Amino acid sequence: MPANKKYLTTSGWLRFSKIMAGFFGGYAVMLSLHLLLTLVFPRQNVLATAFFTGYILWAFLLLWAFIAESIWKVWLTYVGLTLLFAVPYYFLQTA
Amino acid sequence: MDNRKYNIYFHTHTVSGIIICAVLFVIFFAGSFAFFKDDIAAWQKNTSYVASRKNTTRDFNAVLDSLSRHHKLKGRDFEFFLNKNGVAAYVSMLPSNDSIIKKQFKPKPKPKGEEHGGKKRGRGRGRGGDEDAASFAYDFTKKQEGDYEKSYDMGEFLYRLHFLAPLNFIRLPINLGAPFGYLLAGLTAFIFLFALITGFLLHWNKIVSNFFTFRPWAKWKTVWTDLHTALGMIQFPFQFIFAVTGIVLIVNSVLLFPFTQLAYKGDREKVESELYANDTTKYAYTYQPLTTQFDLNQFVRQTEARLSHSQLTRLFIRNYQDANMHVIVASAPQADASFAGSGRLVYRVRDQRVLSETLPTAHATYVDKVSALVHHLHFGDFGGRPLRVMYFVLGVLGCVVIISGIFIWLVARDKNSTPAKERKFNFWTANIFLALCLSMLPVTAFTMIALLFLKDPGQSGIFHWYFYSWLVLGLYFIARRNIALTNQQSLMLSTILCFLLPLLDGAVRGNWFWSTYAKGQLDILFIDALFLVLAVVCAFTLVKIKQRNASVTAVERVEHKVAA
Repeated sequence: MPANKKYLTTSGWLRFSKIMAGFFGGYAVMLSLHLLLTLVFPRQNVLATAFFTGYILWAFLLLWAFIAESIWKVWLTYVGLTLLFAVPYYFLQTA
Repeated sequence: MDNRKYNIYFHTHTVSGIIICAVLFVIFFAGSFAFFKDDIAAWQKNTSYVASRKNTTRDFNAVLDSLSRHHKLKGRDFEFFLNKNGVAAYVSMLPSNDSIIKKQFKPKPKPKGEEHGGKKRGRGRGRGGDEDAASFAYDFTKKQEGDYEKSYDMGEFLYRLHFLAPLNFIRLPINLGAPFGYLLAGLTAFIFLFALITGFLLHWNKIVSNFFTFRPWAKWKTVWTDLHTALGMIQFPFQFIFAVTGIVLIVNSVLLFPFTQLAYKGDREKVESELYANDTTKYAYTYQPLTTQFDLNQFVRQTEARLSHSQLTRLFIRNYQDANMHVIVASAPQADASFAGSGRLVYRVRDQRVLSETLPTAHATYVDKVSALVHHLHFGDFGGRPLRVMYFVLGVLGCVVIISGIFIWLVARDKNSTPAKERKFNFWTANIFLALCLSMLPVTAFTMIALLFLKDPGQSGIFHWYFYSWLVLGLYFIARRNIALTNQQSLMLSTILCFLLPLLDGAVRGNWFWSTYAKGQLDILFIDALFLVLAVVCAFTLVKIKQRNASVTAVERVEHKVAA
């Protein structure tokens, strides 16, 4: 039996928004988090670690966009987290 | 797990799976065979690398000599990328650093942006693009250069097919930083990772209870489901590794590019030197001739003698015959000596001094370790042939999981409550996907048989035989509109063709099992044996299907009688 439609997204726009939030928003969170980590650890090591953690984290963030109850919550969380990670990185990074 | 989440996992798993299934099958199928890339190449060329490695010495001087017949070598940089099989290399020769020599050579005007020919990245595919540079594949056994198109073989074909390189000719309207084929392969790998995660979560509650559940005598839907979940679960770690390392190997620029821009301020060379231990040192050109005699072969022999349990991977010559000539040798440890590591030796020819040396087995940086993990896990080259056979079996089982997934998808929707239009669409999707997937094995065997009769087919020859026969067989199966028939006939064709392959190899080239064994041509022997085993497996499956169909029809007949 296919999945029960009762629990699935029916609106095309909502589905599109979820995919966008998960794919691009998830990517932004993943990238900014790893960038922030370069402040603490050697950057090449963070980059190498991201070969594994980055893609896996991204896939989970994509999934969460579908799981979350509200798409607004997803967008807010992803934008918020990206800012949370990116702002300190921007100000604290050394040239 | 609440119902809502369960259904979301279910749906996202189904959708992502059905989107990628056909492409993923091609990747898994071709990739599984690519574990035996060198063996298939040896089989096609009828020259065993295993046998010839023992009596081939790599003559680097001969390469330079043959180049010097048509080029002035003074002041040039050379790069040798040494093949793992020990008897081949990709060689690239860069333009001279000597501006006087460079001036004598007048390149034809080129379109803007390409004229800077100093740096040609990577292994030259085909004759170099620059007028005064060259890159080619070199065969140390035959002591001759083969150009890429001509020396292309079936092993290379399947290897490159598995990351969809043949699709690179498709041009996208916007430049996304990678050719179309690689992008598609990378996107497929990422969606695959997503499908793996959702599939795992979906099955979470039943992992323990259903671990050994396999009901081959139940109805088809149950068989497919059991096959999909049982095999999928057992294989999960393997497939997860391949999804992640696959993304890293094919579209890592998705991560590297923004990272370079942001954390490295766009300094690509810095990233490369930190990540791949690439030598980006610039050695100044002095315009003073080199007075010391230098024998490259002797140097390589001496260097190899210093390294135990390692092999040379790259050899760079900078400022050939200039007083500031340097030779840089990169090496990698054999997996049994050290899982990770990279060695490098910088040698100044003028005063015969080793300027710096890192032994490959001595230490490994964190980056070395991660990169070793990605490469070894993906290529399965850390445990010899038994491990590669295991990888092959797991890869082929991956194909089975994909096929059973398509069947579940189709069978679950094949009921009266589904609208007729939707059912028609579902049938055609499954019909086309299965026709293309299941014809791959017979087509592969067929192309390899054709190669027995072709002399130097090159890239275009292999492309024609493989893709046209795939097209014909695929269209035939699609046109028959009968999935059971596709299944049976492709199995039958596979059995016959896989059996014919070792038979014809014996009849046409005298490569019977015992003669290749006696000559120590283990790689050729292995391919013949592999296809014989595949033939037996296909025949066994076919017999089992026939038996089952017979018993099912018998039961139906009885039921019919009872009803009557």
